[in-house]
Amino acid sequence: MKDIIFYVLSALAIWGGWRVFRADSMIRATFALMMSFIAVGGIAMLMSADYIGIATVFMMAVEMMVMGLFMVMFMMNPAGLNPMQMVHQYRFSLGAGIAAFSGLTAAILATPLPDNPLPPGGDTLRDLGFELLGNSMLIFETAGVTLLATMVGAVVLSSGSGRFGSAGDGSLPPGLTAGGRPAGRLVDAVKGQEDTPGNGMTMEKKPAVRADDHHGTGH
Amino acid sequence: MTLLAVFGLFVFLMASVWAAAAFDMACRGWVSGLGARSADRPLRVAAMWLTQQRLTTEAPDRMNGLLSIAGYLALAMVGLAMVPLGPDMALIALPTSVVLWGACEALVVVVVFLHGWSQNAPLAMIGAYRYVAIGLPIMLLSMFVLIAAALPAGSLDLRDIVTSQRDLWNAIRQPLGLPLFLLLGLSLTLRGPFNYADSVDLAGGTSVESSGPDRLAWQVARLAMLTGFSAVAATVFLGGYLGPVLPSPLWLALKTVMIMALVIGLSHMAARTPVARMMGLIWMILLPLSFADLIWAGLVAF
Repeated sequence: MKDIIFYVLSALAIWGGWRVFRADSMIRATFALMMSFIAVGGIAMLMSADYIGIATVFMMAVEMMVMGLFMVMFMMNPAGLNPMQMVHQYRFSLGAGIAAFSGLTAAILATPLPDNPLPPGGDTLRDLGFELLGNSMLIFETAGVTLLATMVGAVVLSSGSGRFGSAGDGSLPPGLTAGGRPAGRLVDAVKGQEDTPGNGMTMEKKPAVRADDHHGTGH
Repeated sequence: MTLLAVFGLFVFLMASVWAAAAFDMACRGWVSGLGARSADRPLRVAAMWLTQQRLTTEAPDRMNGLLSIAGYLALAMVGLAMVPLGPDMALIALPTSVVLWGACEALVVVVVFLHGWSQNAPLAMIGAYRYVAIGLPIMLLSMFVLIAAALPAGSLDLRDIVTSQRDLWNAIRQPLGLPLFLLLGLSLTLRGPFNYADSVDLAGGTSVESSGPDRLAWQVARLAMLTGFSAVAATVFLGGYLGPVLPSPLWLALKTVMIMALVIGLSHMAARTPVARMMGLIWMILLPLSFADLIWAGLVAF
């Protein structure tokens, strides 16, 4: 029974991994990868590594969600389900794929894999806990603090300014010409002065905000 | 015995979905002043959706749309199945069932996002993105709260967590735990102040384009998730099946229904804030509160 589940999960993992490269949408590719990882998590559970298996599932669910979002965010065509070509650099990727596959296969075949079945009734969760907070504590805590610092750094870098300037001050779109006045409908934020279409060239140095951010300013 | 439990849980799930829909409609009528609705109204609406034509957008992601509905329902059932119905009696008996529930929470964000994404429509997609922005941080909060609840038991097994509440419920021992966890419930079931996915301001959000049986299945899945969440909440914070006189599954059902009513009531009484403000609220107030809950639980357990 366990063997059947193992083969089904393995097939699912491999199929998911294959679909990542065949899907024509960022989101489909992302969640195909997630499915592959979830199948691997299931295999870990078969090997009595309950915690690691389930942790893989929830880590991957969150990670792939965030990754999919970021990929869509940085794409030229962010929205919708329009199919897109997702593979490129065929020759290089072909060579890299063959090299990686043969290297990993050789490593697996050459490594003497451990063969020590767990004693029945062993508490793997307890063992894992003592390992994480015992011998391997330094490694895991270092990795944890490094990751946390990375996350805080990423938030600081990304939150300070919006795409068109400081996020807190409303936003200014870039000019249509280099150094030109910001594109879009504008009103003057300075009190008592109105933005007339005629003197647009004098607008460059004045603080200006978009009309839809400050209704009625300047009147 | 297992078959009986499966059957019982299924009947309870169906009954609670109907009751929750009826209570939800009653609350809406009461809050909006429209007056009471009859108890068979959920069934009428369900019948209407079942017979309604299925309309789709130009090029929806049909596979992911169906997978998201099925996944939502499956996650709700997993949540319900891991809850112990009596001493040493749970359908999914794992030493790490609390972590499994955490995985379910994470996957709910994925399926709700996919539901919005797969419609290929702007409002549905906005709903999906909004939901991810709020759904992920609110999930962090529940992780801390659940770890705090697991502390006195010294175990990640829901069965042990129930046994550890024999003298005192976690809701009393860790007063911050249940209120914070209820907020997660609002988010998991797309309700009230945390309904950033399917809300009225987006004309239905991720469900704006779904009609007919799809719409019915999604709404049933939402209510089923409410049942699953409430059962987990009742188990972790209200002592689950523990109680005098009555048989233990009945106690669990009673507490589950109580939590469901509480969540539905909350969803009609609290206002929804803009996403940015909610983001600040979660990171600056709610998350520190969950740290406080964890520290409190540690000190008490020590």
